[in-house]
Amino acid sequence: MVDRDKRKPAGHDPASNPGMTAGTGRLGDELAEVREQLAATSEVLAVIGRSAFDLEKILETVVESARRLCAADAGQVFLVDGDRYRFAYGSGMTAEYREFIANNPVVLDRGTLNGRVGLDRRATQITDVLADPDYSLADAQRMAGYRTVMGVPMLLDGDVVGMLSVWRTHVDPFSDRAVEVLTAFAAQAALAVRAVDLVRVLESRTGELRRKVTQLEALGAVGQAVSSSLNLTEVLNTIITQAVQMSGSDGGSIYEFDEDAREFRVETVCGTSPEAFDALRSARIALEDTFIGKAATLGRPLELTDLREAPLDPHLNALAESGWRSLVAVPMLREGRIVGAMVIRRHTPGRIPLEIYDLLETFASQSALALINAQLYRQLERQSAALAVASQHKSEFLASMSHELRTPLNAIIGFSEVLLERMFGELNERQDDYLRDIWSSGKHLLELLNDILDLSKIEAGQMVLSRSKFAVRESLDYCLSMVRERALQQRVLLSLDVDPEIGLLDADRLRFRQVVLNLLSNAVKFTPEGGRVDVRAFVRGQDLVVLVADTGVGVQAEDRERIFDSFQQGTHSSEQVEGTGLGLTLSKRILELHGGRIWVESEAGKGSTFGIALPAGSEEPAMEPAPQAGITLDPALGPRPTVVVVEDDRRSFDLLRVYLEAAGARVVSAGDGEEGLDTVRRLNPAGVVLDILLPGIDGWEVLAQLKADPGTAAIPVIVVSMLDERGRGFALGATEYLVKPVGKEQLLAALYRAAAMPEQKHMVVAIDDDPLAIELVRASLEPEGWTVLGAATGQEGLALIRERKPSAVLLDLLMPGMDGFEVVEALRADPDTKSVPVVILTSKSMTPQDKERLHGRITYVARKTEFDLSGLAGLLRWASTSRQSPVSESG
Amino acid sequence: MTHVILIVEDNERNLKLLRDVLEYAGYDVRAARTAEDGITLAVSEPPDLVLMDLQLPGIDGLEALRRLRASPRTAGIPVVAVTAQAMKHDRERALEAGFDGYVEKPISVRAFLDQVRRFLPGQEAEAQ
Repeated sequence: MVDRDKRKPAGHDPASNPGMTAGTGRLGDELAEVREQLAATSEVLAVIGRSAFDLEKILETVVESARRLCAADAGQVFLVDGDRYRFAYGSGMTAEYREFIANNPVVLDRGTLNGRVGLDRRATQITDVLADPDYSLADAQRMAGYRTVMGVPMLLDGDVVGMLSVWRTHVDPFSDRAVEVLTAFAAQAALAVRAVDLVRVLESRTGELRRKVTQLEALGAVGQAVSSSLNLTEVLNTIITQAVQMSGSDGGSIYEFDEDAREFRVETVCGTSPEAFDALRSARIALEDTFIGKAATLGRPLELTDLREAPLDPHLNALAESGWRSLVAVPMLREGRIVGAMVIRRHTPGRIPLEIYDLLETFASQSALALINAQLYRQLERQSAALAVASQHKSEFLASMSHELRTPLNAIIGFSEVLLERMFGELNERQDDYLRDIWSSGKHLLELLNDILDLSKIEAGQMVLSRSKFAVRESLDYCLSMVRERALQQRVLLSLDVDPEIGLLDADRLRFRQVVLNLLSNAVKFTPEGGRVDVRAFVRGQDLVVLVADTGVGVQAEDRERIFDSFQQGTHSSEQVEGTGLGLTLSKRILELHGGRIWVESEAGKGSTFGIALPAGSEEPAMEPAPQAGITLDPALGPRPTVVVVEDDRRSFDLLRVYLEAAGARVVSAGDGEEGLDTVRRLNPAGVVLDILLPGIDGWEVLAQLKADPGTAAIPVIVVSMLDERGRGFALGATEYLVKPVGKEQLLAALYRAAAMPEQKHMVVAIDDDPLAIELVRASLEPEGWTVLGAATGQEGLALIRERKPSAVLLDLLMPGMDGFEVVEALRADPDTKSVPVVILTSKSMTPQDKERLHGRITYVARKTEFDLSGLAGLLRWASTSRQSPVSESG
Repeated sequence: MTHVILIVEDNERNLKLLRDVLEYAGYDVRAARTAEDGITLAVSEPPDLVLMDLQLPGIDGLEALRRLRASPRTAGIPVVAVTAQAMKHDRERALEAGFDGYVEKPISVRAFLDQVRRFLPGQEAEAQ
């Protein structure tokens, strides 16, 4: 409640103007007052709007306006600060009072106006402070000389935040209007205080944000450096520069901890003279008894505010001598391990602001990461250098071992072949037998050597698959033909069952054959007489599966994983049979390269089934050659291989086609390089015969493109050209290089060597009324690349010979109907067949008359019971090249 | 006419094998144990074909090939590498260096004669 004094002196108080009577004059005065008050209030508001951040300016406007409108001698504002009133602004008072009141904040008790306003939370007037027995601020009153004082609280949300007061130096109470005016100004002053507070909070938050952004930017730069650079010095330099900058320090350094020596070594510095850096480098900074060692051991930052007053270790000594005064050491830890330390220092004594510590620790942990990365990288570099050397040594060793083993093997295999070929005379059975042992042991060693080289190639990641699309059936046929002879010898039955659904396989053809052949030869090897080996091929899901089942010794359970590891054979087999012990390992690796796998199911004593599966990779059906008009072929010859001939000269092409078709190939023509490339890519032929001088892109380019394309690289290319540039041809990947003019034999020999087509050159007609005899001949000749055409009677045989013009004839003498003697006579009588070599293979004992009858007409006579079939191929080859040889007879 | 084949090979046994096989096939065989001797022989009486080991004492097969190619008397003679170096790059290197053929040891006697015949064009009948 305001103390209302009824004695209101006239003319002195424009807010009350008691001297006026009721009427227009009084109304006019009141209007003027309200106008003035309004103008003052708007001025205050305008000031607040203009200078919201300048509290002094706002308070000045408020106080001056209040003083004027209340006709007071002085006005002042106090702001609440804890339990006291702090003087904020005043006007109309002596300097003495101002100083006194500024230094003596007013306490909140009833002895002061401030106290009463604050406690009662309303406008309060003391008409005469000298007459108020409770008034206690006698000193202030004496200095300022006030008598009547009035104050109103500045309220914000119900809280007193300050007080606005006015006084008169004589006793003259303020009117009700003055109370209202002052109350309005106090409210404005309170709002201004709040606005200024808000702005201040906002400013400090903005500052904090700005600081945070700067810190984040610094951290970002550091993170970037750590993750993008393996250059340790660069990374650490970035970190320490940022740390020094962010902490407002003068310099810093980063140390790496050497775990073996248990000491710190300086890695990088910032803001440090070269001399000081040298001094740091030569200082021995042990983990024990040093300042940074202590920080690292404690695992927290340690501060040193003045180096001149601290006990010095070698590190601190080096810094002190270079003029450094204060520092913080931040340990660099990683998973509890000491990695190093970071030091931030100043040329002046004092503290580094606490709020920067978090940032420093972050920098330290980034540095730790960088150091560890660098350590790992160094270790990796050392290891890979060592590995490279080891791998180089291994390659050199393998190359030289291979060379050293091949040299004596050449003599072993070569000389035994020379003797087995009967180059220097006939051998007796035992000699032949032993030579075969020597030869096959030599071959076995060679196989082992090749397996080792293959394996090491795989281990070194150097084996590159040359993929092509090929018919599965053909490859399996080939593999079976390779083991048929041995199977027959061991009386092991072979069977092949290929799902007709199976088409082309996209894989490395030679490696696929290598794997299947390995499984097949193992199966035959481990299967005792009278057993059987069954091969099945089918598609399961996306995979081609080939199963090789035998009725052999089986694989013990404990061996089933082991046998796919290098140099492991089943424990029970090693004594009975030879084997490289590498074949299965190699097969496994080859399949893995194809994305396939190998496994075994077995019951000891009951045989085993080895299975392989590899992604079939091709949806296309097998490309069966379409039957062509005018050419009929013996189905025994199997599917005809396709040969693409790239040749622009029609006559040359026609000649090549005649040669190739006679040999059983299907010939597709391409008139220029482009067409050639297209045709080869489309047909995936067994071979390509390529001319070099072509319209458009030439043969070199075609060759280069075929070899560069993984889809066609494996297809053998036989260059047939006028140009004699063998070196260039082979360098570009030609399989064979023939210079025109090219004869039939030359061309076919090249194709056979290139394995582009089965060798038809060695075709033999076997005439025997015993189907088993023909089967035996087939078994021994087919693996050697011969085509065997069987005939059960003399007439049938003669027709075949006339039609197919074989390179040799195998003939039984005793046959029902037309016998062998008659066949020979018929052959010799016909000019077309009179020079074909004939080998008599008979169980008949030759009489002198028989010999006479055959004399000069046949090449060789062998006794069925005595003749070793495995020598048959050699004999036939010899017979077919020595057409004029006299009759000889085997022992 | 009998073809003359020069073998440059330092391993006695391998030399004997190649020589015996070639002589059996009817060729006239000359032999040298070093590249130097081989070049001398080739220059004095140019053969129809040279079979060259790659690893030789003194100058090696590659260098010997270079020298044969450099001399007008021997530049046109086909030279076939016969070597126990069996690494894939060995073959490529030899063919790039200009060898006309590459025969890997151990040889297969039959295939070997075929290979030799290839470098004596039109000689299949004679060489039988």
